[in-house]
Amino acid sequence: MASGDPLVLGIETSCDETGVALVRGDELLVDATASSMDEHARYGGIIPEVASRAHLEAMIPTISKALGEADVDLSEVDAIAVTAGPGLVGPLTIGTSAAKALAIGLNKPLYGVNHVVGHAAVDQLVDGPFPDRVMALVVSGGHSSLLLVDDIATDVTELGSTLDDAAGEAFDKVGRLLGLPYPGGPHIDRLAREGDPTAIRFPRGLTAAKDQAKHAYDFSFSGLKTAVARWVEACQDSGREVPVADVAASFAEAVVDVLTAKTIAACRLHDVETLVIGGGFSANSQLREMAAKRCAEAGIDLRIPPIRYCTDNGAMIAALGSAVVRAGVAPSNLDIGVDSSMSLTTVTV
Amino acid sequence: MNDVTTARVELPDAATTKALGAALARELRAGDLVILTGDLGAGKTTFTQGLGAALGVRGQVASPTFIVAREHPPLPREDGTTGPGLVHVDAYRLGGLDELEALDLDSSLEDSVTVVEWGRGLAETLTEDRLEIDLVRPRGLTDEQGSDGVPVEGTDQDPAGLEDAETGVRHATLRGLGARWAGVDLQAIVVAART
Repeated sequence: MASGDPLVLGIETSCDETGVALVRGDELLVDATASSMDEHARYGGIIPEVASRAHLEAMIPTISKALGEADVDLSEVDAIAVTAGPGLVGPLTIGTSAAKALAIGLNKPLYGVNHVVGHAAVDQLVDGPFPDRVMALVVSGGHSSLLLVDDIATDVTELGSTLDDAAGEAFDKVGRLLGLPYPGGPHIDRLAREGDPTAIRFPRGLTAAKDQAKHAYDFSFSGLKTAVARWVEACQDSGREVPVADVAASFAEAVVDVLTAKTIAACRLHDVETLVIGGGFSANSQLREMAAKRCAEAGIDLRIPPIRYCTDNGAMIAALGSAVVRAGVAPSNLDIGVDSSMSLTTVTV
Repeated sequence: MNDVTTARVELPDAATTKALGAALARELRAGDLVILTGDLGAGKTTFTQGLGAALGVRGQVASPTFIVAREHPPLPREDGTTGPGLVHVDAYRLGGLDELEALDLDSSLEDSVTVVEWGRGLAETLTEDRLEIDLVRPRGLTDEQGSDGVPVEGTDQDPAGLEDAETGVRHATLRGLGARWAGVDLQAIVVAART
């Protein structure tokens, strides 16, 4: 263990996972997660009030579990990092309140950090420190963003993001219209393996020449979602059975084609040789395959952490906190609020 | 009060859907509630993008589905004043609009224009003054695309008109309820959207 580095406790509560982790340097000591996903699945999405209550109940047990598994006493913690945004206001408030209480009780510095940047930072725990400049594609139920990372602790530029639906959200909505359970992503991925991704040429949002000037690195999946809905309706109206596997595979192909094409183009433009993909949607098998293929062709080093670090977790926040502390960034004030739509260029508050 | 005013308008493309949002924005003031109804892909978020741009608010107006409610504070106008902000809500998973208060929004609904997607049946608990807008998109691949409506597989061409699926003609029906909307000329708003 690099004992010279500070021990950072990270707390993540932006959505439905209560995550607590301990990181020293780039080494993960423990990552404990409690999820309220099962409670939300029957509603077809996250219920903010249910999530807030679940975080409240899980917070202290999850902290205790993390400390116990790592055999660390709270007094050994050097800094507290917590997600300050973006995310759901209620859940974020539970996490920041717990973090402030710990910071005050332990008399240790508090760092409010950005959830989306955390999705990129967690890769350092798996694949080692970032080179000077990396591209990060963060794709999940709530986010589809392309970040140019010159310094994960201090210098992140948002090159583009979704103008309407996030990638994972489009999967949930298409899942809904195909009659699949929530969340749609894993179900569509499973069905897509049996389908033909070239069966239906669904539209690629914001890839037309006219969109290059203003939206070269932005994403739009709303038109694609509408096209899938209307294609399925036309199929139903003509009395044909909907070829669900082909629709799933072709829809996913359209999403993944745009994500990877724009990301590789951004890497070329900014002379970046390392790409990190994070966020829950990076579990998608078609995304992993196409990103691997296109990065290999373009000579780009692709880093995708294991799936358990791509979904929301405490490790990503502890990892970013660790980077921020080591970079000498000033701690947050103890009166920080939460920001549900925090700018992605804001690493710390 | 049971005053109801209505207007209907055809929206040939996404730009006109945004123009309707923009035309309405000029009529809106702090405290107003707009309820949007329509299937997936009907243009609810597109409409709200036009409304937000004309209102002059900060941040990208995108789907609020994931975070349930997204707040857009007002930007200062050229004359230094500020108008109302925008609170953009996806009520699909809310039990009632009174749950909006439990979301701990920074901006109060009294100081903002609130646009609620999937809010029909939930708004009544909040206020009887509201503008309801129904957005209807074409079903299937028929009409404007010139297709016979039968999906085509196994081709790289676009005979089914999928590239245009988003830009098919929508129809909007505006319905103003309560004292706030009594006497408001909704017809003038839809005419403004088309010119």
